[in-house]
Amino acid sequence: MAASATTVPGDRSLVERSPGRRLPDQVLRWGLTSLATLILIIIGYFFVRLIGQSGTAISHSGLSFVFGNDWDPAHNVFHGAALIVGTLITSAIAMIIGVPVAVATAVFIVESCPRRLRGPVSILVDLLAAVPSVVYGLWGVFVLAPKLLPAEKWFASTFSFIPWLGGGTPVLYNYFIAGLILAIMILPIVSAISREVIATVPQENKEAALALGATRWEMIRMAVLPYSRPGIVGGAMLGMGRALGETIAVVLLIGNAPTIGNHIFAQGYSLAAVIANEFNEAANTPLWASSLFYAGLVLFILTLLVNIVARYFISRGSRGTRGTGATGMTIASGPAGGQG
Amino acid sequence: MNRRITAAATAIVVAAGVAACGSSNSNTGGSGSTGSSSSSRPAATINGAGSTLAAPIYQQWSSTLKSQNLTQNYNPVGSGAGITDLQTATVDFAGSDPALKPSDIAKMKGPVLQFPVAFGAITVSYNLTGIKSGLKLDGPTLAEIFMGKITKWNDSAIKALNPGMNLPSSSITVIHRSDSSGTTDGFTKYLSDVSPTWKSSIGAGKVVKWPTGTGAAKNAGVAAAVKQTAGAIGYVEQAYAIENNFTYAAVKNSAGTYILPTIANTSAAANGITIPADLGISTINSPAAGAYPIVSQTFLDVYKDPCKDGGESKTTASGLKRFLTYAFGAGQSTLGAGSNQLPYAPLPSGLVTKDQSQLATMTCNGSSIS
Repeated sequence: MAASATTVPGDRSLVERSPGRRLPDQVLRWGLTSLATLILIIIGYFFVRLIGQSGTAISHSGLSFVFGNDWDPAHNVFHGAALIVGTLITSAIAMIIGVPVAVATAVFIVESCPRRLRGPVSILVDLLAAVPSVVYGLWGVFVLAPKLLPAEKWFASTFSFIPWLGGGTPVLYNYFIAGLILAIMILPIVSAISREVIATVPQENKEAALALGATRWEMIRMAVLPYSRPGIVGGAMLGMGRALGETIAVVLLIGNAPTIGNHIFAQGYSLAAVIANEFNEAANTPLWASSLFYAGLVLFILTLLVNIVARYFISRGSRGTRGTGATGMTIASGPAGGQG
Repeated sequence: MNRRITAAATAIVVAAGVAACGSSNSNTGGSGSTGSSSSSRPAATINGAGSTLAAPIYQQWSSTLKSQNLTQNYNPVGSGAGITDLQTATVDFAGSDPALKPSDIAKMKGPVLQFPVAFGAITVSYNLTGIKSGLKLDGPTLAEIFMGKITKWNDSAIKALNPGMNLPSSSITVIHRSDSSGTTDGFTKYLSDVSPTWKSSIGAGKVVKWPTGTGAAKNAGVAAAVKQTAGAIGYVEQAYAIENNFTYAAVKNSAGTYILPTIANTSAAANGITIPADLGISTINSPAAGAYPIVSQTFLDVYKDPCKDGGESKTTASGLKRFLTYAFGAGQSTLGAGSNQLPYAPLPSGLVTKDQSQLATMTCNGSSIS
């Protein structure tokens, strides 16, 4: 009845207001619903248009576009397995390198950065997102790729026994360099989201962990990271979307050879790169242009699939971790056990 | 997709501008045509799109023509996209490096004319420590290098062409264009011409399936990769090579002489080639004695009747004609090896005459353009 006291006299309660007086809420509800629907419609339209535009290529190449490995526009052969592999490898490298660094940066900023430096450091990390991707790409071309080539050669010959990593002959532009630049590019997104999420961990949880005798590292591992895990995963998914679709930096650094390399220092190609490279001259060759739309469609589906698969594994994994997190808390009472 | 939308948006904005100009001019023209002819010529705006190779030429000409009351905009979207823009009549002229194919002409709204505008050589640049100039190559050897069959600089085939040169034993790294380009088209056409194996296994095109090497984006990317890789070889446009002081090889032409890609040797490629009625020439592997063999040409494509088929006003059509008159007149003298000239090879006088007489056949709704 306290609620009715705050409403306009004559109305018994909020829910019993006349329809006219509920108008603002209804406008809000319909407005938000239509905006959300609009996004779905745009994505749906986008998808339908992509299928329509790639029709010629779908009937020409069919599924060999995905599974065949032979990209030869001069002979009307569009089999893009190498493009798909390249997209997946570079994004995987970006995630493996980028996400741990981004999360570590976020933990540092929230948990152990001196208060006065917290603002400036956050801003600097966020500024990485403001650098245009072509600048990252050119920096890779002129600085990173030539400077890292000797190190890559040393690594490949020293660790030649590790499959995929060693054994091959590194070339100037390769999967690894492209993945490394992508790692830097996804860093600000993943880091910014992780930072905000980590900052929401209740002080009580952290204090409880410390009171149970946890070290600072154990507190972060057992109280902070499990609590903020869903948010960090969301940030990582956004980063992965960026890595999968990034175009110009990859064009400059992947070597643009439609082959499947047998180690990470080999050159390759990606779906987004082939569209950027070939679209401007393909315009008056219908099959070629349509094949590039098909590449776009495959990228669209690939991004969707990778997201679904990643979310599935992570939700399964996080259920497991929540369990170990709980046991971790019990073990934390005996630090020796926690370390062992 | 994005590019197309931008192009379309630009075209719409510009078209609106043209319409505004056109209507105001036709008003003044209608009220007193004798009066307007005595004063300076009416302002007109014409829009083109296409070849990136030719973009510096059209941009330079545009700044000259501005003072003559003629605004010319050029959007370097690539030859293929330029042709589709002309097919939809979103531009007044298209720049294209390859000659129009029958399939391109079939989709045009009406008869089109193509004019050769200039030539550009494709240079073979290399990075060999100690060898700054003087490397000689011939077509079959080039094809073997770019096919990955010759892998060392001191291969007997290269040694035989360069007697006395101290060639290193290092590996050859092939650098090629990754983006679809007229440069790749010209280069692979040449290799197909000189090597039957290349023709049957790889062929010619704006993008081909390279058996070896690394793809770098645009001339600048190829140049950067060649500079950074010892033992690299790649192909770049002449204008780019000249402006950046690249080391390039002399290539043996069909007359058996080793020729450096200078402007004069590039212009010479137009001598001795057959000129078809539609002027759709190809200057690859020219039989002329002093011609550099890897030369690409660039064309300007317009509707024969831009008013009827391109939907242009009479003012725009006459602006287009003024632009073309300049291109095959005073414009040609802006090209050449001089310090204040653009590093493209101008047309030889024989082709200029053919361009000019073809220009005279342009009409607006059937009547000749003033």
